[in-house]
Amino acid sequence: MPPRLDSLARGHELPPSAFELSPEWVGEYVGAVEDEAIASLGPELVPPMAVAALAVRALLERAVLPPGAVHIGQEITFQRAVRIGEKLSASARIVSRGERQGWLLMGIELSVEGEGGPVMEGRATLTMPVAEGTP
Amino acid sequence: MTAPAVGTELAPVVVAVTQEKIDRYAEAGGDGNPLHTDPQFAAQTQFGGTIAHGMLLLAYLSRMLTAAFGEAWLSGGRLKVRFRAPARPGDTVSAVGQVVRAEDGRTVCAVECRNQAGETLVSGEAEVSA
Repeated sequence: MPPRLDSLARGHELPPSAFELSPEWVGEYVGAVEDEAIASLGPELVPPMAVAALAVRALLERAVLPPGAVHIGQEITFQRAVRIGEKLSASARIVSRGERQGWLLMGIELSVEGEGGPVMEGRATLTMPVAEGTP
Repeated sequence: MTAPAVGTELAPVVVAVTQEKIDRYAEAGGDGNPLHTDPQFAAQTQFGGTIAHGMLLLAYLSRMLTAAFGEAWLSGGRLKVRFRAPARPGDTVSAVGQVVRAEDGRTVCAVECRNQAGETLVSGEAEVSA
């Protein structure tokens, strides 16, 4: 069972998760977000936010989001375009953690690498109610 | 692709948000947080009902930026946003943007997602090498 996100200390690194951008998954993602623009650039390119979604998915595979957690901010830099079939590795690290008025505020650095080097980096900011026993 | 001039408004993306679309994104994105997918759970939260994933709203912004800037957005694009208010099933979300400055070979746009009442849901900046 993965640890709860709110139990992780600043500096904690979550192990990387590997993904393949299969045509099926990319099709599912493009359909879900109704991205009609990406197809105009060619059949092989993947929407960049799909990579960000994978980074979040990797985080959620390695840490359980506490009930009531809310995403309040996001920074993302796309370093290069990715294509269907690429294999990627996504990792996450807790870079900030603070508490205010019963709410925990966490900054999480997300990074995605491919076989040709870095693909995306970013930082998610989440807030969640402080749970009893939270360190 | 030529960089649009300062002041240019990007072609907006307008999407009707439904619970079915939120559920579909939860499946694709692997984010089954009950705040998004479980109406009974979500009714007990401060939101009083389910809300769309923030990343779904960012996907609408990204679609707008892909249409405006092409591959320059996919390779070297940068987005920095705050989530201001939730999008709910039944909302019509408009992703909008305007070029606000050009500096050092980068084009910077103010971007927002708004609901049908004009309330800002997401706001921030996007930057591309263009």
